[in-house]
Amino acid sequence: MLLFRSEEHIDRWCEQWRRPRGGVMTPEQQWGMAVAWYTENRGAPSWRRKTLEEAEALFAELGLVGEFWRLR
Amino acid sequence: MSLAADIRRVVYDLVMATGRIPHSTELAHVTGAARDEVRAALRELEEAHMLVLQRDSGEVLMAMPFSAVPTSFVVDAGGVRAWGNCIWDALGIPVMMQRDATINTACGCCGTVMTLHVLGGELREREGIVHYAVPARSWWEDVVFT
Repeated sequence: MLLFRSEEHIDRWCEQWRRPRGGVMTPEQQWGMAVAWYTENRGAPSWRRKTLEEAEALFAELGLVGEFWRLR
Repeated sequence: MSLAADIRRVVYDLVMATGRIPHSTELAHVTGAARDEVRAALRELEEAHMLVLQRDSGEVLMAMPFSAVPTSFVVDAGGVRAWGNCIWDALGIPVMMQRDATINTACGCCGTVMTLHVLGGELREREGIVHYAVPARSWWEDVVFT
């Protein structure tokens, strides 16, 4: 998960590393994921990983839909 | 509380206070457990996808969102400097620490410095775009490369 200056820079990176283009999101969407995943202190005894259903719902809420963002 | 849960708590307490993920010897000292017990508990936490261990040493590599080793995601949060594993995690550090932060990273393509600020629980910048190279369902196949 890297930050790029623009879509053009992503294309150049994919070409350089001979990798297909993956999924993209705005910094705002990425911030939304950070808030969703990391608000709770992971050292707390009550912390647990999100279920697939919870994660999928959060992706959808942030507009991350389609084959690339499917979790199963 | 199980030893694994205790170790998870200690890892996060220490990394949030110092920015540094503790070594297994420090975890043994703080918890009073034997080093072998600590290592077994760390493996248990990795199997549960709660931590990621360094392949050869068995030491902690990632206590998400923190990295034990230097990365290109440097987070300064209220006097604590920490490394994020990726841009998602770099943003997650000020969220978990509930502090303002400056994140210094570089464009994945050209290396130009990109600085983000989290102030008052909000991300100030809107410039740039995030790229995920690996489809979501495969992230845990090799979590070091995503």
